[in-house]
Amino acid sequence: MHTPRTLFVLYWRLIGAQVRSQMQYKVSFLLNLIGAFMATIIDFLAVAVLFTRIPHLAGWSLGEVALLYGMSSVSFALAEMLSAALDTFDTYIAHGTFDRVLSRPLGAFFQVLTEDFRLRRLGRLTQGTLVLWLALTYLDLRWSPDKAVVLVVALASGFVIYSSILVMGAVLCFWTVQGKEATNIFTYGGDFMTSYPLEIYSDWLRHFVTFIVPLAFVNYYPALYLLDRTDPFGLPAWVRLLSPLVAILLALLAWAAWTLGVRRYQSTGS
Amino acid sequence: MKLYWEVAKRAFQRQLAYRTANLAGLVTNAFFGYVRAAVLVAFLQGRGEIAGYDAQAAMTYSWVTQALIMVVALWGWWEIETTIRTGDVVSDLSKPFPYLAFWLARDYGRAAYFLMFRALPILLVGQLTFGLRWPTSPLSWAALALSLVLAITVSFAWRFLLNVSAFWTADARGIGYLAMAVILFLGGFAVPVHFFPPWLRDLALALPFVAITQTPADVFLERVTGLALASALLRQALWAVALLAAARGLLALAMRRVVTQGG
Repeated sequence: MHTPRTLFVLYWRLIGAQVRSQMQYKVSFLLNLIGAFMATIIDFLAVAVLFTRIPHLAGWSLGEVALLYGMSSVSFALAEMLSAALDTFDTYIAHGTFDRVLSRPLGAFFQVLTEDFRLRRLGRLTQGTLVLWLALTYLDLRWSPDKAVVLVVALASGFVIYSSILVMGAVLCFWTVQGKEATNIFTYGGDFMTSYPLEIYSDWLRHFVTFIVPLAFVNYYPALYLLDRTDPFGLPAWVRLLSPLVAILLALLAWAAWTLGVRRYQSTGS
Repeated sequence: MKLYWEVAKRAFQRQLAYRTANLAGLVTNAFFGYVRAAVLVAFLQGRGEIAGYDAQAAMTYSWVTQALIMVVALWGWWEIETTIRTGDVVSDLSKPFPYLAFWLARDYGRAAYFLMFRALPILLVGQLTFGLRWPTSPLSWAALALSLVLAITVSFAWRFLLNVSAFWTADARGIGYLAMAVILFLGGFAVPVHFFPPWLRDLALALPFVAITQTPADVFLERVTGLALASALLRQALWAVALLAAARGLLALAMRRVVTQGG
C-alpha cells in the first residue's frame, strides 16, 4: 500500500524527470514559454484596448474585468498544467498505452497524471498571475480577512472545477475516442467566456455556466463577493460563497465517472 | 497551369477526409465568435461608435475575422517545417516543378476548402445569432474575393518564411508560435487596429499583417470604397509580391544548404 507521503515523493520524482527532459532544449523551451505567454495575453490586451475607448463593460471597470480574467486564467492554467496527459488521453486509449498503466502496481489515475507534464504551460499561468496581480493592485478592494480567504479558496476551487471537467472529458474517451474535442469548449472556451461579466451573454448561456457546467463559480460569483456586488440575476448573497461546495461535488462526480470508465475499459487490443 | 490546378484540387480533397475534425473546429470557432461578438456588442451598445465601427459593424468584424482563422491559418501552419525536420523535403525539392509555386497552389486548395466548409458556416452562425452586415453591391463582393485571394497569398508567403527558417534552426516552430501570436494582434484579429492608440495603429498599418485580417474584414464591411478601396487592395497586392519575393530569396539561400544524404 502506498502512503500519501510515498505517493507525494514519487509524484515529484516522476514530474522532475519530465521537467529535466524538457529543459534539455533550453531555447525551444524558452521560446515555447514566451509563445504561450504572448498567445494568451493577447485576449487581455484586446480588452484593455477596448477599455481605452469606453470606460465600462456592462457596468464593470477594466480592473474588475481583469479580476475575472485573472482568476479564471490562474485556475485554468493550474489545471491545464497538472493534467496535460488528460489532453491526449484519446491517444492512450487508441494506442493501447492505457493497458500498460493498468498492469502497474499503482493507481491508474495517479499514473496518468504523472505521464505528461508541460512546463511551457507556465506561460499561461504567468500571464494569468500577472493580470490578477494587476487587478488586485489597481482595484480598491477594501481588504478584510474573509475576502483574502474567499480569493484563495476560489482559486483552489477553480482549479478543482477545471480539473474535474478535464477528467470527465478524458473519461469520454473510454466510450468514444472522438469525445475529446467536446471538452475544449468548456475548458478553453469556458475560460474565455467567463473572463467577461456574465451579464453580456444570453440567459440560456448564463444558466448553462451557472447550473450545468458551473464555471460561474470559478470566478464570477467569488468576484461578486470580493467587489461587494450583489448578483444582478437575483440569486441570494450566499451563492457567491458556494465555490468550494460546487468544486467538491464536481470532483466527486468526476471521480465516479473515472472509476466507472476504468471498470468499463476494454483494450483496443492493438 | 493545369498542374497547379491539380495540386490545389488534391489539397482541397485531402481536407475533405477530416469531416469530424472540421465539425469540431467549427463548433469551437463559432463559440469563440459568439463570445467575441457579445463582448463588442456589450461595449458599444447605445454608445455610438469607436473609430467608425458601430455595434453592428464591430460585431460583424469579429465574426468575419473568426471565419478567416483557418482560411489564412492564423493558429499556425507547419506542413513545410515538418517535411524539413523529417527530411521529406528532399523528395518535394526533386520534383520537376517550382517548389514555391507548388506549395502556393496547395495552400490555395487548402484555403478554398476552409472558405467553403469553415468560413461560410461560421458567418451563417453569426447571421443567425446576431445578424451580420453583409456587402451590399456586386462590386463589393468582387473586391472581397480579390482581397481574400491576396490575404491568403500574404499569409502563405509569411508562413513560408517561418517554415523555411527550419533549414537553419531547430527552433523554427517556437519562433513561429511567437510570431503568430504577435501578428494576431498587429493584424487586427483581436480588435480592429483602428481601435489602437495612434502610435500602435500607425505601426500596425505599416506592417504587412493587416493585409491578412484587417483589410479583408474592412472590405467586407465596405469601410473602404472607391479610391480608398483600390488603394487598400493595392497595398495588399504589394505586400503579397514583396513577401513572395522574400520567400523566394530565402528559399534560394536555403537551397545552398541542403545536402541530401544518400540513403
